[in-house]
Amino acid sequence: MNGLRKFVVAALVLTSLPALAQAQQPTTITGRVTAESGQPLSGATVFLEGTSVGSTTDENGRYSFQVPGARVSGQSARLTARRIGYTANSASVTLTPGEIQQNFQLGANPLQLGEVVVTGAGTSTEVQKLGTVRNTVSSELIVKANEPNIVQALAGKAPNVNVSQSSGDPGAGSSIRIRGMRTLNGSVEPLFIVDGVPIDNSSISTTNFNVVDVGGTNLPGQDNGGQLEGTSTPNRASDINPNDIENVEILKGAAAAAIYGARAGNGVVLITTKHGHSGPTQYRAASTWTIDKVTKFYPLQTKWGQGRFGVSPLPCEGFKATCLRSWGPEVTGPVYDHASEAFHTGGTSDNVLTMSGGNDRTTFLLSTGYNHANGVIVGPNNYYNRATARLSATHRLVDRLVVGGNFSYTDARGHLTQRGNNVNGLLLGLFRTPPNFNNQPYLVNGMHRTYNLQNPVLTNFSEDRVFNNPFYTIYEELNSTQVGRIIGSINSEYTANDWLKFNYTLGSDYGADERLEGCPQQCTDVAAGGRITEGKVVTHNIDHNLTATARHTFSDNFASSLTLGHNLSYRAFRTFSVVGRTLIAPKPFNILNTLTRDPPSDYQTEVRGQSFFGQSTFDLFNQLFLTAALRRDGSSTFDTNHRYANFPKASAAWTFTNVVNPANVLTFGKLRIGYGEAGQEPQPYLTSNTFSGSTLTGQIAQGTGFTPTQSGLGGLYFNVTKPATELRPERTKELEGGFDIGFFKNAADLSATWYNSRTVDVILVTPVSPSTGYQFEAKNAGIIDNKGTEFSLNLRPITRANYSWEISAGYGRNKSNVVDIAGAEFLLTDNNLISSVAQVGYPLGILRGNGWVRCGVSPNDVIPGIDLASVCAGQPHGATFIDDGNNCSPQPGMPCADDNIRVLADPNPKWTGNLRSNLRFGKITVSGLLDIKKGGSIINGTRGALYSYGTHKDTENRALCTGPNNVDCTGNLQAFGTANFYPGPVVGPGAGMQIPIGENWYRTSGLAACPFTGYDEPCVEDGSYVKFRELSLAYTFEGPFINRLFGFSSLDMRVAGRNLKTWAKYKGLDPEVGGVGGNINRVNGYDYFNLPLTRSFVISFGFNR
Amino acid sequence: MREKIIMPRLIYRTAAALCFGSLAGCSSFLDSPGAKADPNLPTGATTDQLFVGAQADIFAQQEGPLAMIACQWMQQCSGVNGRFVEQQDSYSVNAGTFDLPFQEVYSAGGLLALRTVQASAAAAGDKVYQGIAQVLEALLIGTTASIWGNIPYSEAVGSNPTPAFDDQMAVYASLQTLLDEAITNIQGAGPGPGAVDLFYAGNKTQWVQAAHTLKARFYMHTAEVLGAPAYTAARSAALLGISSPANDFRTTHATATSERNMWPQFQNTSFGPDLVAGKRLVDLMKAQNDPRLPEYFALAENGQYGGFDVTTGTTPGDQISALHGTRNSDTFRQPVLTWEENQLILAETNFQLAGPAAAQPFLDAVRTARGKAVVPATLQNIMEEKYIALFQNIEVWNDWKRTCLPTLTPALGKVRIPGRLYYGQTEEQTNPNTPPSSAQNLFTVRNPNDPNPC
Repeated sequence: MNGLRKFVVAALVLTSLPALAQAQQPTTITGRVTAESGQPLSGATVFLEGTSVGSTTDENGRYSFQVPGARVSGQSARLTARRIGYTANSASVTLTPGEIQQNFQLGANPLQLGEVVVTGAGTSTEVQKLGTVRNTVSSELIVKANEPNIVQALAGKAPNVNVSQSSGDPGAGSSIRIRGMRTLNGSVEPLFIVDGVPIDNSSISTTNFNVVDVGGTNLPGQDNGGQLEGTSTPNRASDINPNDIENVEILKGAAAAAIYGARAGNGVVLITTKHGHSGPTQYRAASTWTIDKVTKFYPLQTKWGQGRFGVSPLPCEGFKATCLRSWGPEVTGPVYDHASEAFHTGGTSDNVLTMSGGNDRTTFLLSTGYNHANGVIVGPNNYYNRATARLSATHRLVDRLVVGGNFSYTDARGHLTQRGNNVNGLLLGLFRTPPNFNNQPYLVNGMHRTYNLQNPVLTNFSEDRVFNNPFYTIYEELNSTQVGRIIGSINSEYTANDWLKFNYTLGSDYGADERLEGCPQQCTDVAAGGRITEGKVVTHNIDHNLTATARHTFSDNFASSLTLGHNLSYRAFRTFSVVGRTLIAPKPFNILNTLTRDPPSDYQTEVRGQSFFGQSTFDLFNQLFLTAALRRDGSSTFDTNHRYANFPKASAAWTFTNVVNPANVLTFGKLRIGYGEAGQEPQPYLTSNTFSGSTLTGQIAQGTGFTPTQSGLGGLYFNVTKPATELRPERTKELEGGFDIGFFKNAADLSATWYNSRTVDVILVTPVSPSTGYQFEAKNAGIIDNKGTEFSLNLRPITRANYSWEISAGYGRNKSNVVDIAGAEFLLTDNNLISSVAQVGYPLGILRGNGWVRCGVSPNDVIPGIDLASVCAGQPHGATFIDDGNNCSPQPGMPCADDNIRVLADPNPKWTGNLRSNLRFGKITVSGLLDIKKGGSIINGTRGALYSYGTHKDTENRALCTGPNNVDCTGNLQAFGTANFYPGPVVGPGAGMQIPIGENWYRTSGLAACPFTGYDEPCVEDGSYVKFRELSLAYTFEGPFINRLFGFSSLDMRVAGRNLKTWAKYKGLDPEVGGVGGNINRVNGYDYFNLPLTRSFVISFGFNR
Repeated sequence: MREKIIMPRLIYRTAAALCFGSLAGCSSFLDSPGAKADPNLPTGATTDQLFVGAQADIFAQQEGPLAMIACQWMQQCSGVNGRFVEQQDSYSVNAGTFDLPFQEVYSAGGLLALRTVQASAAAAGDKVYQGIAQVLEALLIGTTASIWGNIPYSEAVGSNPTPAFDDQMAVYASLQTLLDEAITNIQGAGPGPGAVDLFYAGNKTQWVQAAHTLKARFYMHTAEVLGAPAYTAARSAALLGISSPANDFRTTHATATSERNMWPQFQNTSFGPDLVAGKRLVDLMKAQNDPRLPEYFALAENGQYGGFDVTTGTTPGDQISALHGTRNSDTFRQPVLTWEENQLILAETNFQLAGPAAAQPFLDAVRTARGKAVVPATLQNIMEEKYIALFQNIEVWNDWKRTCLPTLTPALGKVRIPGRLYYGQTEEQTNPNTPPSSAQNLFTVRNPNDPNPC
């Protein structure tokens, strides 16, 4: 501490002397800032150079601020006006007591040349000097997205920044992938940095706490068996109030992100929050009201009732196979709409109040927000509330030393609905209920009534209900999350002299999330008798970052800077949870109110890192800008012999228009090339030799297994993972190049980027030969390539004072290829419905499974007695083999099963794009965003299961079957390969054969109901979509009458829509419902009774003063 | 409280780091105890702790998926309702299905743990403990060899990252040696595991008997190839084997979630009701009016005992018994090696070596003990009695492979009941010594001890 004190004292002595000027009358500076077109510019900052004295303009472009008398001595000073997207302009003013009027006209600068952008870890640079592609998302775009979750608000905003939400449930998490996936180790989410401090963006499912029933694990970022069930899981970056965000910079490739070294392998999202400006205190109160509706109801049939083979099974009073499905007779009585009965119109309200201001030495911004989201599921248990409070302040202690701090608190709490592959969840029971069964009332004399137990009475009420009644799930279960989160930092900036600056930030992020899952006494299945899961997730990150930056201009043709930095980080994660079974009394859902308890689960990790970094820039002839940096990262997760690793980067930007300036076409042109290395730390403790006390799961199914502790005797197993002896960070080496050009006087600009990355030393937790005594070993052995292209095009065809039109498009393509996985045939990355794997020669995450016998796909001898090659001769690749009932299929006219596991589909999109248009007419602005995803397969398991259950709409047109064979069925004659029935080429002796399609196909053949009864392939669907993400119309009222009427300076109003329309081939609810929850999975594209998405209609009012 | 302590410490360290001249002093920052070693799990284990875990591993092997599939394929159990249990019924399994059971032979509480227990017991001079762990090793490995044939053993859990596959018959031979050594050791000096022994609570006599019955069982496994010498050796061993039902070698369970018998554990999952009675066993027991029916099964909806007929696939639901007999209790001690098996080994070996008359007393003893009438000691009667007595025991499958008794018809549409399992895809992927898939076909490939298909 002594050193710091000396340092501060020295700073005071050195810098405070000039401030001791004589007291005088203050000066008030006022004026107006407009664009060249005459349009007033709001939000422009006007300040005196070299001080923090200044203000921001209001909706009319007006500003006003006072220079304290102590600083007014008749001296001349430079007054500068700045605004994002415009060229800054300065004027010389003489500070004398009284009033000074100074207007500014700013030229458009859509390329933001000259703007300073943060580039991470305390470094910053000017836009035109960047040697890597820049993607920034402004607060304006974030607000227009109308998303409470900042990650979701990034959807469709930048090429190759792919965002998808796990469901439309309130609080549901979103995942983000930048330039594909590069690791199999831990998370594939980027690092999130808020105001220079890394924050937690994990997603932990409460289901993870339940090791016994679902094989949960507590490892963050690690997939496990439980992820298809549980509730929607928030991603923790959603604790940030999007209204507080000034802008988001996305560092995509290693060439940009290398400054974060071993934590930047998946890219970095740099969030800068809003800060106050000196000047009169400004107030903004805004209120946004949203109506949320389900985008699509599930297509269910409403014609056929409960039963099998056309026979009604009643009575159904406890588990009976004939009661499960809807293959009964045609319904004569009433039918019930199970697709929509559990949903209603939800609503979200978002209220924010912001105050900001300051004087020549101090600025502050105080913001509060309350977001209340009422979900689209009926009942009281589908909401998520987030209250946020934030204070940001800076104070100039002495002219050269500014200290500041950011402090934010979030209280988020929600009640969520059980979902997914879960007999106590909502949709399994809902969509499987036969159309002739009324799910209401769900209780009879207090007893839980389901379509499998239709008349519960005291003598049968403990019978197996198979699935919960959906309304029992909705009204009786309780799944809650309650989060307290504090993110805070203090920082100081010391300008030692005109060439040397120090910057110090100490930040902390502490979050605690209390979870409860309460399944009442009459829950179905494994939770029969009731089950309570209680747990806590605590995360705590502390980060220290010190930088020193020196700049020197050697001559007009040569300037240089050097930044040196030091960083320490501490990251702790802890969960503690207990599962209790069999409730004693119906309520409360408290762990003490249970008869038995599973062994509690207690898991914690601590990771520490220390880094040294340096970055140097060289500006040559004001046209060639070179940057080189090196980060040396140490981490507790590296093995002890390799505690540190180096991550270099270098880039060059050449503003060629400074040399060759072809007429008036190109106004700006820059070529850039960059190379960088960034990494991913190993998961903690892979080098530890440990023994385990937990259950060996999967011994039969659904978490059956034995703990090593038995009959009261403490036991231990050897850990199945062999301790690693050598473990280094993964390393992505990436080369990117491209150009940014502005043409037609900047009426258009185009940015193109090509990149080629190779990730080496990918940590593979590879299976080892089990007979060695271990099952896995972590080692640096994999190689993954990612290559891609990105384009951003912005057109500004019309720019006038009263109207303007801008249109922009983005395109990103990423192709990954697994090069090496240490000789393994494949390695599992996710395993939910079917396996997603890393396999050499394929994109990471490729889906593997079994399917039908197909030409060129199935082995030649897959059907005994048939030479597939000769049958397929001259037929298209992938043609379906249709049997005549004599070879492999039990039925004539049906396809055959191929048990061989094969690569089925790629869940990664081929390309993604977006199209945005912004039209301003006077004070009205209309803007819209289309978000496009091409390719990326989805496993639609919901459809397969509902085929088997006979409730899917596709099964409405059905043959009547009295037995499992074709001969037992009449009606609905179909031939495979025809336009409306599994279109595509067919071969084989049964090709073209018309057969009756009903229960014999959908339920008993085992070939249709993927992956429910085995064959995965028919579930694969195209996940392409075009989404009308955003539409908004904004109008600003201002002028004296607003002031007279309301006492405000302006009132802005916005009506908007979100997810208004989706165009997709996907047959399930929504192709974006691909995530399994939060950002838990690497691969999006699993749909098994996932909850629907929502479309929203928004109206918003903002009052400004 | 934890967090409050860390913050000042971090600030202190931060301050230390500010002194640019002494950056070396910061290196300890990375090596805090919580960051350096896993704070969640013990980094050491005692012999007793490993031994309890190893016993849990034995429970898993003897009651888990291997026993379930044997029960299904031997038509003692059957799968319904269209999910994986039903698919297993018609032999629809793949290399992934039995990955975990194969892995757990060696890892976690498997051979690695048993070898560690043996080594530490030997180091402590506890011969009894060492011998008992050797018996468990023999049971573990012998069961594995009986299912997969050639398996890694001589080089397993050692330094070789890709252990060789030993010939199945050689594995049996080394297990006999191991059991002889175990029997000597158990009778030697040392306190033994005592209370942490969940099979016999450290009773040396019972362990020695069980070791002899195990020897007899493994000799029987070689009888299809070796013939009379195997029967002779098995008979000699069985004569020293388990002397009464009270000495049966059974698992031990408690009511805690993951300490329950695996059969009821599974019956309480959503897949549980999918596993039901098999027609072959139920019909046989009904024909003999066997008193164990209510022990094994519940009455079907129609008020009778009945099983699903996998050979036709059409048994109506109301005629199928659930596996909810009196055995379906969390704490049921699953018999692994029993007096009945021992007696019936004596019956079979005597039948083979000396004829029905020599076999008769042993068959009679077993049937009388259950209150059943005596029947002539034909090989069929002996094996059918064993089929009933060893319900849910993997050994039923081994007996059938060897004798083809009781006669079984393969599942609908199938020509043969498998005689083995796939190794599991992990071993296949990681160990080049694993026989190729062509040498693993369930229907055409036989294990070395079982050359003749039924």
